[in-house]
Formats: sequence, structure tokens, C-alpha cells
Amino acid sequence: MSKTEPLYVLRGLSKQYSRGKETIPIFDGLDMEIANGEFMAIMGPSGSGKTTLLNQLGGIDAPTTGEVIFDGRRIDNLGQGALAKWRSENVGFIFQFYNLMPTLTAAQNVELPLLLSPVKGAERKKRVATALDIVGIGDRAKHYPRQLSGGQQQRVAIARAIVADPKVLLCDEPTGDLDRTSADEVLEMLQLLNTKMGKTIIMVTHDPAAAKYAKTELFLDKGKFIKKGSKK
Amino acid sequence: MNDFTLVLKNLFRKKLRAILLLFSILSAFLIFGALGSFYKVFTAGVEVAAADRLITVNKINFTVSLPLAYVNRVRSIEGVRNASHASWFGGYYQDPRKQVQTFAIEADTYLAAYSELVMPDEQRKAFMETRDCLLTGIDLVDQYGWKLGDSVPINSNIWQKKDGSSVWEFTICAIFDGDKETVPANYLMFHYDYFNENLAFARDKAGWIILNSEDPAMNDDISKQIDTLFANSQAETKTSTESAFNKAFLQQMGNIGLILSSVIGAAFATILMIVGTTMVMAVSERTKEIAVMKTLGFRTGRIFRLVLSESLLLALLGGLIGLGIAWALVDLAIGPALSGFLPGMRLTADIALLAIVLMLALGLITGILPALKAMNVAIVDALGKN
Amino acid sequence: MFKQIAALTKLNLRSIPQRWGMSLATVFSVALVVLVLMAFLAMANGFKATLSGSGSTDVAVMLRKGAQAELNSGISLAQLRLIREAPGIARNADGNTIVSGELYVIVDGLKRTTLTDVNLPLRGVEPDALVLRQGLKIVEGHMFGSGSNELIVGQAILREFAGFDLGSEVRLGTATWKVVGVFSTGGTVFESEIWADAGSIQSLYQRGSGYQSVRAKLDGADGLKALQDWAENEPTLNLDIITEKEFFSGQASGITNIILYMGWPLAIVMAFGALAGAWNTMYASVEARTREIATLRAIGFAGFAAFVSTLVEALLLAFVGGLVGSVLAWLIFNGISASTLGGNFTQVVFAFEVTGEAVQSGIVMALIIGLLGGIIPSIRAARVPLLSVHGG
Repeated sequence: MSKTEPLYVLRGLSKQYSRGKETIPIFDGLDMEIANGEFMAIMGPSGSGKTTLLNQLGGIDAPTTGEVIFDGRRIDNLGQGALAKWRSENVGFIFQFYNLMPTLTAAQNVELPLLLSPVKGAERKKRVATALDIVGIGDRAKHYPRQLSGGQQQRVAIARAIVADPKVLLCDEPTGDLDRTSADEVLEMLQLLNTKMGKTIIMVTHDPAAAKYAKTELFLDKGKFIKKGSKK
Repeated sequence: MNDFTLVLKNLFRKKLRAILLLFSILSAFLIFGALGSFYKVFTAGVEVAAADRLITVNKINFTVSLPLAYVNRVRSIEGVRNASHASWFGGYYQDPRKQVQTFAIEADTYLAAYSELVMPDEQRKAFMETRDCLLTGIDLVDQYGWKLGDSVPINSNIWQKKDGSSVWEFTICAIFDGDKETVPANYLMFHYDYFNENLAFARDKAGWIILNSEDPAMNDDISKQIDTLFANSQAETKTSTESAFNKAFLQQMGNIGLILSSVIGAAFATILMIVGTTMVMAVSERTKEIAVMKTLGFRTGRIFRLVLSESLLLALLGGLIGLGIAWALVDLAIGPALSGFLPGMRLTADIALLAIVLMLALGLITGILPALKAMNVAIVDALGKN
Repeated sequence: MFKQIAALTKLNLRSIPQRWGMSLATVFSVALVVLVLMAFLAMANGFKATLSGSGSTDVAVMLRKGAQAELNSGISLAQLRLIREAPGIARNADGNTIVSGELYVIVDGLKRTTLTDVNLPLRGVEPDALVLRQGLKIVEGHMFGSGSNELIVGQAILREFAGFDLGSEVRLGTATWKVVGVFSTGGTVFESEIWADAGSIQSLYQRGSGYQSVRAKLDGADGLKALQDWAENEPTLNLDIITEKEFFSGQASGITNIILYMGWPLAIVMAFGALAGAWNTMYASVEARTREIATLRAIGFAGFAAFVSTLVEALLLAFVGGLVGSVLAWLIFNGISASTLGGNFTQVVFAFEVTGEAVQSGIVMALIIGLLGGIIPSIRAARVPLLSVHGG
């Protein structure tokens, strides 16, 4: 993969939901490219289609029409099984409410994606420990989610997202449930992952302060980009 | 950590709930193990019956005796390898309410017919040579604390001796056991000659005739020949295989098999409902977690297997504990307590095997619905429920 | 407080449909436990009622000492003659003692439901036998003739077993016998018997002049004692003398106990299984209502009201289960005719009897399951933290 080629290419992306007889279009004929190494914040009011867009990028929802091309490969037409495999190898997800398994410890939560990879034994332990160290909560490995604060839980979630070394991190309101200090810590961490580890990050957020951490800010309204801002 | 860790963690997510479910599954398998063992030993007579063994009884009823002369006439029929006879003695030891099965037998031919009865050679010899010998089942030796050489008075509630007494004196000179555990060894036998000579009335009668055919294929033919031979005589006969005879006798008690299987059925219906509904609820509680796992890249097949394994594990755990308790109960408590009239009651390997099959079936049935439900969780919908 | 409890209970019961799966499972699992228990009780009660209803207190049964059952016993003609002159026995209008020397032998019959051979009792009786069984009526045909090869059969025999229909011929030994009458005794064990003239049975079974048991009508309340004392001092007699009532209850107790010893433990083990189910269901109920309970408590409802309302839900589910089980038991089992091998080595026909007492036991058992299954979840309901109003 050359540096100049975009990581994501969206062509003529349309998505509509049917509710009873009514059809509700989310977006219609969206085109966009996302460069490798990007840190993009997608902003916009509720119902603007932010999360739906993120779902298309993550391969957990298929567009009605149009193409999603990742790293030169179409993913919108893959089967469920192939998509699952693709996700486990290429994407890390970070959610607003962390979505950790309450029955598993921090370390086990982080280890979860590795159950899908050929990584075994000592190597697996090392990867988990490294991921926890990167997010700065190596000392909480044995704790259960309910024993951790929101910020700590989100760090575990980030560790889980990066442990399988995916190319892209998709974040859905990652600071939506956190206080300002914790939010800033999480955002700084994402920034670090972007600059130091080269992870492409796409983040949906309401929060303009959070968006400031990104390289690119996009505003989505009624399924259309209305403003594009780039700082660097 | 591996998939099994996930299954285990999910199963015991709510410990009390899991324990209650285990408890309820345990109860059904306890019932299955205990009743299964009971039924098995109850019908053991049918199973231990030898294929070449036939029983000839009076056509009026098997409690009505036959003329002794019939034995020799049966012997002369072609295809009959061996014939013997036995009579019901109606014995009891000290307490008239506690019967001890006792038979007066023609010794050499009877032991030849029942080759599964075993004893040391010198005891066999002693039995053959001692007129008043009481050939004693090993279970009774244990029960009454008898030993070889003891003089034992056995009362008969039917037969009186010439002197008017119903007390018959015997010496224990041989102790027999079955060559398999299911062969009963809870009765007494003694020489017919000793019985017949001392009888006050009804002498020269045989209770029933036992015979061995040369080949089980000839059984039907021999039965017909015998019954035809004695047709229109003063005592008509009815001949059947030992297993058919035993089976018919058990059926006289009523349909025990139906009663027992109904109870087991009810117990299983109970846990099917309880476990089934609880598993459905347990899985819908974690719809979101399943969606997250799918997002991480867990495939639907693997999710299906994880949930199904959970209910299988639950069924196996509960079932094995229940089976274990049933084993302890049957082999260590009920079995010994009932050894007097149902010897050899044990939780056998085939019952355990059937129980394990039932556990797997229970796990699959209660797991399939939740597993399908988990498999079909739509990521987008589930994660939308924030 | 009562108002609070009523209000919460109402709210509670209204939420049951939200958990209909588990609630229904609880109801039916309790119902199955009760059904199993009632089946055994109905069986035991039916058997016991048949046998204990058979015996009369003013009839003495005499057997040879230690015989236990009529089948094993033997009494000679000389002994019977002696007994006919014994004290304590009532006399008829002609001044003769009311005594019947009887024989009890077994013949094969065919059970209609399974088509297998079964042991049926063939009783040889003397004329006084009819006086000694109160309520005996010939309902079809006529009485056997004295000394004839004629049989009369009880109604239960006709119902359950083939081969002894009115008018049919039965070959026993060398002779052919004819069924000439059907008798009823109002549901007692005698209806499971076939009767013939004692003399005919003696010759069929080569019993010479011997009998197996003697029945005699007792002369008043002291009759039994007088008879027993007299027999004790007669050197040629060696008898056990008890009332017929005692005789049959002794026979009933063995099998009744076996049925009860099996039924109760089985029902109790099953009850533990259902208990676990009820407990689970009630936990789910409390969990589903945690926020609601916390809200109500925040408003000012007492924890005790939450406790009682939850317990009421558990008891109600169990009670409905008990009721369903009882009704099912009554519909399925009540009155069904069955037969088993009784104390005399012959078939006793009896009808399952779902008694009020059994229903009571079933309902009590159901309520115990509800109480034990509901108590801990109820305590938990009472202790729901107020902060749960915020959900989560």
C-alpha cells in the first residue's frame, strides 16, 4: 500500500431505512475519501447520519447502494463471515459506553479480540500487557469493569481496540460519557495513537472540544457534508 | 483465556441463578438415576433369563403343582437337554411376616439348569451329599449373620411335616452366589427328596418344571410338544421361556415401567421448562454484549456455539452431580437396604450412559433457542439501545 | 400498611405478563410436582380404600398359625367341625353357628389391558359365605348350584380380565366349568374374586376334605375374645384368629406403604427442582421491578410492602400451579381402574381415588414451594437501594 492511496474510498453511498411504509433516507450519493494516517472528527446534530456512516465504515451495516472500498478492497458486498474476519483484522471499535464484558477482567477484555487471531500463549499475554501499558492502566489488569472509573474503562476499551493491531480505529462518541479531565486524557491518547503509531482514527462526536484534537473536522447535516476544516 | 473461559464466565454471571438451575437439573437426574436403577433390578429376572431355559407350569396357574411323574416324561422329549423341578416352600425364618424365598429342588439337574449359580467345589459336593443341607444365597448369609455349618430352622407357612410341625431343620453346608451381580442370591434351596419324604400331605408333586433346550431355536417346538403331551390330562401344562414367564409375572404388579417413565418424564418436563425459559432470558439480558463481540469480529457460528456450549455445560454439570448423588444413594444406601428382595440394585454403566445422552439432549434443547437468538442479534439494533 | 401492600401487590401481579415465560414455567413445574404426588396418593388411597372397605369387624378370619395369607393356610375338616361348635360365634334363626369353611386357590386370567396372564383368586365357599359378606348381590345370572362345576364372578373380574364372561365355559384341570352369575359387593376386594362351591374346589384341587380358611360371624363385641380364648385351649387347633377388618388392613398396609414410600420422596425431590425454578422466577421479577420498587420506596412506600407483595406473587404462582396439578390429577386419575398383585398373590382391582385430603397435601406442597422459592427474593425486594431510582 502506498502512502498516497486513500485508506477508505466511499462512492455514491446511499442508506435508507424503512419504517413501515415510510422510507427515511439517511444519506444519498455520498462520496468521500479518507487518507491513511488521518484523524478525522465527524460532527453534526443528532440524526445527521454520523453513526450510520461509522457503521458503514466498520462493516457492521451495509449501504443500500454505493461502494465502500477499504485499502483497495470492496467491503460492502462481503458476506457476514468475511466481514467479521475483516473487522477482526482491520478495525478497532471504541464506543461511548465502553461496552466491556462485565464478566471479564480488564486484561481478559483486552484479550478478547485475540481469540480471533492466531496469536497464542506468551505472545498473547505480552500483547495484552503492552496494550494495557500503552493506555496507562497496566496496574488494573485484574480489575473488573465495575471496579474501574469511566475513564479507566474507556482506556481498557481503547486497549481492546488496538491489541490486534488494526489499521483503523472507529470511535463513536468516545468521550460522551466522561468528565472533561478524563475526556482530555482519552483524546490525548487517541492523538498519540494517531501520531506515534500511525493509526487512522475516525471519530464521531458532538463535542467541539473533542473535535479539536483531530486533524480534520467534518460537519454532517441531513446526510451531507457542509463544512470541512483542516488544521494542518 | 479461551472460548471455554467465556462460556464459564457467562454461565456463572449470576451465581445464584446458575446454582439454582444446577439444582433443578440435579433433581431430575437424581430421579432418573434412582428410578432407572430400580427398574433395572426390578426387571433383572427377564434379563438374566437364559435363552435356552423353559418353564412348564400347571395351566390353571403356576401356583398349582404338577405330578412328579411329569418331570421324567418331559425329559424324554426330543430337544430337551436337561430337566429339573422345584417347589415353593413358603419359608420364613423366625418372623412369619418376613418371608424367605425357599425352594425344594432336584439338586443336580437344577444346578445344571442354572449354571449362573456358583459355589466352591467342596461346598457343591457337600450339598450333593448332605440330605438336610440348606444351600444358602450369600445375601441371606449376610442378612441373618449365618455361617457355614450353622443349624437353621426354617418354618413353612404351607407345608407340615409328618409329625405335624411346620419347622424344618437344616444345616448350612453350601453358600451360593451369582456369577454376575444381577443374578439374585437371596434365596434358599434344599433337596426335594428331604422335602418329599417328610411331607405330611401332597407328596410326589413338582411345583414347576425347568428345562433346557438343546438349541433356543427349538424352544417353541418343545413348548408345543410338552403342552400337547399333557393336554386333556388331569393337570394340563403351559410352557414358556423363562424370560417370558418372568416378564408376565412382573406385569402382574401393574405397569411399573409406565409409572416410572411417567415420573421421569414429569421431572424432565419440569426442568426443560425452567432451564429453557431461564436460558432465553439469560441470553436476552446480554444482547448488547453479543453485539459487541460480533463487532469485534466474532462470527455468528462461533456465537451460536458459545451459547449452546453454555447450556450443554449447565446440563452436564447439573446432570453429573445429580447422577453422582443418585449413585451414592443407590449404591450406598437404597441398594443395601433393599438387598433382601431386590438384590444387586446398582447404578450401572448403561444407566449412566443413558443419563449422559439425556444431559446432552437437555443441553441442546434448552440451548438451541437462545443460541439462535444470540446468533441473530443485529449489531446495529443492539448497539442502538444505549 | 394494608393499603400499601394491596397497591404494590396489584402493580406486581400486573407485571407478570412481562415475564410470562418464566411465570408459566413456574406454574407448570409446580403443577407437575403436584400431579406426580397426587398420582401416587390416589393410587395408595384407592388400594387402601378397596381393602380396608372389605373387612368387617364382626367377622372373624381363622388361618393356620403363621400362614399369614389364605393361600398358605390349611384347615382340616375335623378342625372346621370343632369350630362350628365354638363359643363367641353368632347363630342363625335355625340355631346353627354362621361359619363358612373356604378354599382359596389361584387360576389364570387374562388382563384386558395388557393381554398377559394374571393370577386370579378362585374361592370355594359354603352357603354361609353369602351371609358373611354384607351387601353381596347377584346382579346377573344366578348363584352356583351346590356341588356343581359352576362359577360366579365379581364385577371387577369381569371389568378387568377376560375369560370369565357370563355364560362362558372355563376349563380347569379335566373338568369344564361354567360362569353362571355375576356378583357385586359394593367395591370391596371380593369383587376381584371368582367363587365356586367349596366341595367342587376340593375335588378339583385334590384337597380331600381340607379347607384353607374359616370365616365366622362374631356374636357381639365380646365374641372375638371368647373365640380366641377357646381356640387357645383346644390342643387340636393351631389358629390365628383376627377380625376380617384387621386381616385386610394388614394386607393393605404393605403395598400402600410401598406406594407412599416411593411417591413422597419422588415428589419431594421434584419439588426441590421446582423450588429452584420458582426462586429464579422471583429473582427475575424483583430484578425487572428494581427501579419501580425503588421509585415507590422513594415516594414513601415501606420495604415491608415490597416484601409482602413479592411473596404474594410467588405464593400465587405456586397456588395456581397446585390447583392446575390437582385438577389435572382429578381429570386424569380419579376413578381409573387398575389392578396389582395383592397380599394374597392374586390381582386386586381398585380404582384411583383423588381424595380431598390428597388435594390438600398437594396444595400445601405447592404453597411450601412458593414460600421457600419466594422468601429470599422478597427480602431482596424489601432491600432494594433507593438509589436504584436512577436505573442501571
